[in-house]
Amino acid sequence: MIIRFLQRHREASVALIIVFLFAILGLVDRSYLSLDTVLLVYGNSLILFVLAIGATMVMATHGLDVSVGSIMGLAAVVAGLLMNAGWGIPASVGVALLVGLLCGLFNGALVSLLNVSAIVATLGTLGLYRGFVHLLSGGSWIEGLPEGFKALTKAGSLGLSPVAWLVLVLLIGAHLGLRYTAFGRSMFAVGDNREGARLIGIRVNEVQIVAYGLNGLLAALAGVIFASQIGFIPNTAGTGMEMRAIASSVLGGVSLLGGTGTVIGAALGAYFMTSIDSILVLLRLEAYWNDIIAGAILLVVLITDGKIREAVDRHLRYQKYRKFIDPQAAGQHADVARSLKTTLKPSEARK
Amino acid sequence: MKLHPALKRWESVLALLLIAEILLFGAINPVFLQPSMLLYATSDFIHVGITALALTLVIITGGIDLSLGSVMGLSAITLGILWVGEVNIWLAAIAALAVGTLAGVFNAIAIHLSKVNPLVITLGTGFLFGGGALVLSGLAGATGYEGISNFDPAFVNLANLEVVGLPLPFALFLVLTVGFMALLHRTRFGRYVYLIGQNPRAAAYAGTPVLRTLVVAYALTGLMAALSGLILASYFGSARSDFGTTALMPAITAVVLGGTSIYGGSGTILGTALAALLVGYLQTGLQLVGVSSHVSSALSGGLLVIVVALRSLSEMGRVWFQHRRVLRNVAAE
Repeated sequence: MIIRFLQRHREASVALIIVFLFAILGLVDRSYLSLDTVLLVYGNSLILFVLAIGATMVMATHGLDVSVGSIMGLAAVVAGLLMNAGWGIPASVGVALLVGLLCGLFNGALVSLLNVSAIVATLGTLGLYRGFVHLLSGGSWIEGLPEGFKALTKAGSLGLSPVAWLVLVLLIGAHLGLRYTAFGRSMFAVGDNREGARLIGIRVNEVQIVAYGLNGLLAALAGVIFASQIGFIPNTAGTGMEMRAIASSVLGGVSLLGGTGTVIGAALGAYFMTSIDSILVLLRLEAYWNDIIAGAILLVVLITDGKIREAVDRHLRYQKYRKFIDPQAAGQHADVARSLKTTLKPSEARK
Repeated sequence: MKLHPALKRWESVLALLLIAEILLFGAINPVFLQPSMLLYATSDFIHVGITALALTLVIITGGIDLSLGSVMGLSAITLGILWVGEVNIWLAAIAALAVGTLAGVFNAIAIHLSKVNPLVITLGTGFLFGGGALVLSGLAGATGYEGISNFDPAFVNLANLEVVGLPLPFALFLVLTVGFMALLHRTRFGRYVYLIGQNPRAAAYAGTPVLRTLVVAYALTGLMAALSGLILASYFGSARSDFGTTALMPAITAVVLGGTSIYGGSGTILGTALAALLVGYLQTGLQLVGVSSHVSSALSGGLLVIVVALRSLSEMGRVWFQHRRVLRNVAAE
């Protein structure tokens, strides 16, 4: 049962580890499990949630996008400059999102049409887009954003800001979209077996490009949220976020080899990455402990998860060959098993 | 058109690009062509090249090391902490190199034991080592990004020392290039590196010491990253935990631009060395022409995209021509 469940739900083992860690923290300090804390951490992880959705999509197609940090910065700067030039908030945000979409589509075209490996292509655009940030901003911070824009991330109905509601809708929508729509499934098909996907009639290149494009769009949204949250836009906006986004998705059970993963899993990972800050407060440690704890937890989760998966695989393989090793369990294949048993020692068959 | 085989190699294209680049910047600003300018400009970027040499080995094995930037910071901070603790500066430097090597060994063992993608593991260890550097500098009271300075003058002078007319870091880079070339192209270990990258399963079945080879490759990367951290500490006269954050992407760029396949199994040290110089001089040259350092880093990102896309296109074109020739021959018969 458990084995079958873990095999079907790749993110379950990671979710279990994360729930376990939350439980420990809850035991140390009851207030950690309160609704206030959950809402606080949720509010702090909005950016990472949005990035993790995009990373999940790209990683599902067996891709990787390390340029999202720069797209974030670029979108934030575009939105900021337009707003300060007197554009309305919706128009500026719309243009910023469009810029992000174009950046993502460019990444997708490089990876899909030109056959450049994903990490190399996006490594290049990481530098390229960051350069656009500096060119546009002229090297200075963008300040004096309109109050209406900052209000987007101020707490509103039911303790959640308007953007927080939007992100919640996005999370649910993306989760359902990736799991239950033909297009969502085709992303996983492309990531799992590109040639196979092509043969069953999926437009492989199109799917890949759209995945990168949506990822760019989401990265731009993350940039806009970032600008709204802190109220100004430094040139370094978004640097290093790509690593956190990938780490969240990996924590949440999305495989870098493509074909598996869920948005809810990635969101759990993102929530966990952010809640490390709260853990530090609980343990009364200085802020500079953040990265080392994040790294240690990431490694422990990855290695534990790897070991669990190895055990699951081994068990499944044992189940598959059991009838050849143990005639009693064989049923209809008993005669085959008996003839095989003489030549095949159990230890060999289990390999 | 028949070209000499040596000219068809990617390294000769890189060498030609490098010469063209230097001449182009020289034509815009003659200062660029002065030998002393060309030599001393390397000090700004040679740490990237030194790390990229060892990273080439790791990438050829089909792996990658995203933690090397953090290791640079960690080694610099280790040096600083020990120096503040009144340890002899040379002992401290050796300890810092040892820390870097151990970090590499840790990477290799974690990758081998967990069987998880190296990209993910080193992403995790990158947080771990970078976090370790932050914690160490925090504990030492050098909070934020101020860093630790006031090193022994003998150590600080190292980066400006001259060896047979070359600045010491650059001379070190040349020696290491030759050393790594010998290691990768002339030893059994080097052949194992290629074999593991080509087909890890075949390598394991052939009795290749996979774990040992990986440990050495990652340990060398850790060691070179630590060395780069020390070079930076000597060059700037201070040690900071965020030293390597900007060096990771350029190092990968140099390896990939140098012709190493990111999927493993092929690549050369000479290509990496030339590509490191190409990217480095592009940055320096653009700054000399008056382009800001941020925009020049964008252009090197653009260069990477263009070169890799062109290589990919030419490969696609080659396959297309080959198919056409075969089809024509078939049709003729």
